[in-house]
Amino acid sequence: MEDIKADNNQVISIVNTATGDLQFSLLNNAFHFKKALMEEHFNEDYIESAKYPKSTFKGTISNLKDMNFGKDGIYNVTVSGNLSIHGVTKEVSVPGKLTIKKGSISATSTFKIKPKDYNIKIPAGVKNNIAETVELTVNCTYEKKN
Amino acid sequence: MSRKRIILIAAICIVLAAAITGYMLWNKPHKEVKDASGVKITATELYNNFITDSAKARTLYTDKVVQVTGEVARLALNQQDQQIILIKTPVSGAYINCTMEEKTNAVKEGASVTVKGICSGYISGDAEMGLPGDVFLVRGYPFTK
Repeated sequence: MEDIKADNNQVISIVNTATGDLQFSLLNNAFHFKKALMEEHFNEDYIESAKYPKSTFKGTISNLKDMNFGKDGIYNVTVSGNLSIHGVTKEVSVPGKLTIKKGSISATSTFKIKPKDYNIKIPAGVKNNIAETVELTVNCTYEKKN
Repeated sequence: MSRKRIILIAAICIVLAAAITGYMLWNKPHKEVKDASGVKITATELYNNFITDSAKARTLYTDKVVQVTGEVARLALNQQDQQIILIKTPVSGAYINCTMEEKTNAVKEGASVTVKGICSGYISGDAEMGLPGDVFLVRGYPFTK
């Protein structure tokens, strides 16, 4: 048994501080695994990145009234919206933290999803080696656009 | 040699071959980028191809080694301390966004650069907010040959 971990820095995320709208879009084929074989299986058998090149999230900060983008601090937020992976869109609500420091915004969140909810089939032969739930960690830094 | 012994040796050979194949598959290296021959293209052409006909551009460039030349707009580091080179495109605020495999001091903002890397594709931005998208390259190397 070993941890299967992959990183993806090919992400565009936009937060609208006026409306609380938050969106992420990432390229599925850019997940980088330690092993080339894991990467190949992920792209070809699980996420099917040629057929479904992107995963997206579009949502809003539910407790926008608790936020003060003009004041430094760490704010606990709940973000609700639609998560689209592998051609399946599901409503999710996830906790996160927004950090405001000298005008810059960074966002972190950790939440879990089940591959089967997104119609990602794990072959029977490796079912015991792959967890039923996958942990997703988000870490974004934003720049102000006028 | 008895028939039993031949069968036993053959079985051992098959098991060994399977084990070696499995080991090699499990440990096979990632796609070679540094010394691979990449598709030579300018940042302008690559970006224009993705925004005018993304389906065709995906077929031509996605998951392939490309060698992109353009002007360095900005250098940055991502959260994993990897160097990012943003190459200018014809669209203001839109870049060929290259995540580099190794850090380099040889690349300067405003100078011309050629980066060889694997093209991951294009992510559109948000038209309503006036934010254009980027074309992404991963496992990039500055091309010096």
